[in-house]
Amino acid sequence: MTIAAGIDVGTGVVKAVIFKVENGTETWLSRANMRIRQRDPMELAREAFEQCLEDANLEERDIDYVATTGEGEAIPFHTGHFYSMTSHARGARFLNPEAVAILDCGALHGRAIITDERGKVLNYKMTSQCASGSGQFLENIARYLGIAQDEIGSLSLSADNPEEVSSICAVLAETDVINMVSRGITAPNILKGIHMSMANRLARLLKSIGAREGVIMMTGGLALDEGLCAAMREQLGKMKGVTAEVANHPDSIYAGAIGAALWGAFRAEKLAAAGHLLKAS
Amino acid sequence: MTNPTTSEIIARCQELYDDLRFTSARDWKDAEPGRKVIAHMPIYVPRELIHAAGMLPLGIMGGGDNLEVIHGDAYYQSYICRIPRSTIELGLSGRLDFVDGMIFPSICDVIRNLSGMWKMLFPEVYVKYFDVPQTYDDDIGGTFYIGEMREFLTDLEALAGRKISDDDIRTSITVYNENRRAIAELYRLRAAKPWQAPASEAYLVMRAGLTLPVEDHTRLVHDYIAAAKAEKRPIKDNSRIILTGMFCEQPPLNLIKSLELSGCYVVDDDFMLVSRWLVGDVPTDGDPVYNLSQAFLHQSMSTAAKYEPDEAEKGQFLVRAVRDTGAEGVIFASTSFCDPALLDRPMLQNVLKAADIPYIAFKYSENSGQMQPIREQAGTFVDSIKLWSAA
Repeated sequence: MTIAAGIDVGTGVVKAVIFKVENGTETWLSRANMRIRQRDPMELAREAFEQCLEDANLEERDIDYVATTGEGEAIPFHTGHFYSMTSHARGARFLNPEAVAILDCGALHGRAIITDERGKVLNYKMTSQCASGSGQFLENIARYLGIAQDEIGSLSLSADNPEEVSSICAVLAETDVINMVSRGITAPNILKGIHMSMANRLARLLKSIGAREGVIMMTGGLALDEGLCAAMREQLGKMKGVTAEVANHPDSIYAGAIGAALWGAFRAEKLAAAGHLLKAS
Repeated sequence: MTNPTTSEIIARCQELYDDLRFTSARDWKDAEPGRKVIAHMPIYVPRELIHAAGMLPLGIMGGGDNLEVIHGDAYYQSYICRIPRSTIELGLSGRLDFVDGMIFPSICDVIRNLSGMWKMLFPEVYVKYFDVPQTYDDDIGGTFYIGEMREFLTDLEALAGRKISDDDIRTSITVYNENRRAIAELYRLRAAKPWQAPASEAYLVMRAGLTLPVEDHTRLVHDYIAAAKAEKRPIKDNSRIILTGMFCEQPPLNLIKSLELSGCYVVDDDFMLVSRWLVGDVPTDGDPVYNLSQAFLHQSMSTAAKYEPDEAEKGQFLVRAVRDTGAEGVIFASTSFCDPALLDRPMLQNVLKAADIPYIAFKYSENSGQMQPIREQAGTFVDSIKLWSAA
C-alpha cells in the first residue's frame, strides 16, 4: 500500500489531496483548497496538507511521497515535483477515463494537452503570456461589474446578444468592456462576450495540437464555469472537422493535485522496488 | 576555529560573483607594491605560469546578468554572443583598469578578434591571444604548445622584471595540483550526493576560484566540502542530469537554480573549463613546461571545445560521463551563436541517441532573464525520465 499527497500551487488557489494506492486501486482519502488572496502560498500549502492529513486521520510519517505541481517546487517538504501538464493529464484521466485531451484553465494560463490512456502527455500548447484568456482576467472584469464570481457562469448562459471582446490583450479587452458598459450592454452579454473570446482562443489551441474528437476534459479553476464550458462547446461546434465533446467534473479544480499524488504514488512504488528510499541523509 | 557553514561560504562566494569591480583582486594588488594582475577569458590558460611570475590570474567570465551593455553593442554584430560585448563594457567602463595583462585563450574567432580589439582599445595593457594546439600529437601540437608557453613566459618575465625559474613553475604546478584535487573531490561529492552539494552552490564555489588566489580557493573548496557533508539536507526525487555546452559564456546563476528547481540534480557539467581542463596531477619533476604541455595533450577534459580527430571517439566522453556519474539524461545548454558548442551539438546528440540516453537542448545568454520556458523544458524532461524511462 502506498499513500501519497499531491499539492498543486496555482496562481489563485492552493489545492491538496491525499490518495491511497493498493493493488492498482486508487482511493481518494482527503482534499483541501485555499484561495491565496495575497497570503504566502508556501504557508498555505502546509496548511492545506495538514488539513488533508487530519481529514484522512493520518500522520505526516504515514505519507510515502509528497508530490508538488504548479508553482509548488519550492515547498520544502516535498519529495518530488511534477510539471503541471504531466499532473493535469493524469488527474483528468482519473476524473474521466475517457478523456483524450485536457484543457487546463487556471488563473493565469490556458493549456491544451493531448494524452494517451496511461496519462502520458503526447502534445501540448499554452496560451501566450497575456492574461486575457485567464481566470484572473475574468475575475477582474466581474469585480468591475460588481458581480460575484459564482454568478459569472449563470449570467453568461442567460445572454441574448453577446459581443466578443479582444482576445489578444487584457488591456484592450478591458477597454472593450468599458466601452460596452458605456454603451449600455448588459452584464450577461458582456460576460458571454468574454467567454466567447476566451473559448475562441482555447479552441484554436486545442485544434492546433490535434484535439479534434473524443472527450476534452476541462480542469483548473475555470472548469466549473458553465458559461465558459458552453462557449467552448459553441466554438468547437463551429470548427470544421471537430467533433470533440467538452466535459468537466465537480472536482476538476483538483486535477493537478490528483495527478501529482497519483504520479507520486507511482514513483514511490518504483523507487521502493529499486531499493531507493528517499530519506534525509 | 570553527569551520564556516555552507551559507557563510556561499554568501562570500556570492559577494565575489556579484562584484564586477573585482574588489578582492584590486585589494590583492594593492596589498604589496609591484604586484600584477593578469586577467584571462574562459576556457583554458596555464595559470601556473602566471602564478610562477608572482602574479594573480583573474578569470573574466563576462558581465553576467547584472551589467547593462551600452558601449559593447557598438563593437559587435547582432549575431555574435554576449560575452565579448560585456567584456568590452567591463573594459570601457573602467572596471578592469587595474589589470596589467589580458589573455584571450583560443576558443573561437570572436574571442580572437576581441584580442585584437583589446590591443587597440587598451594599448597600455599587455594583451596576448593564447593559441593552443588543435593537434594532440607530441611532435606537432606538443612542440607548438611548448613554444607558445615559452613565449608567454618571456612576456611574463618582462612584465615581472625578473626571471621565472623552473622551480618557480614546479612550485606553482604543485599548488594548482592541490586545487585540482580539491575541485575533483567537490565534483565527486556532487555526483554521489547532489542534494548535499547543489549545482548552484558548487558553481559559486568554482567561480570564486577565478577571483581568489589559488591557495585561498583550495582552502575554500575544502571548507565547503566539509560544511556540505556536515549539513543535513533532504533527498528529493529528482533526475540526475549532465549539463554540457556551457564552457565559455556562463549561464546566469538563476538558470542553474531554475534547473534544480525543475527537478534536476546536476551531477556533472562543463562550466568554466579553466579550472577543470587538466585532469589529475601534472608531474612536478623534470621540465615543467614540457609537463604542462603533456598534460594539455593527454590529460585534458573532452568537451565540444576540444577537437576530436577520431570519429569513433567523438562524443564518447558524454556517454562515459553518464555511465560514471549514474546520470539519467543530458541537457545541452549553449549560449546563442556559440559556434564551438552548437556545431558539435548534432554530432553529440547522435552519439547519445545511439546509446539510448535521453537529452534536450536549449540556448541562453549570460543575461537571460526569462526562465519559464527553460523551467518548462527541463521540468517536462525530468518528468519523462521519472515516469517513462526504463530505470
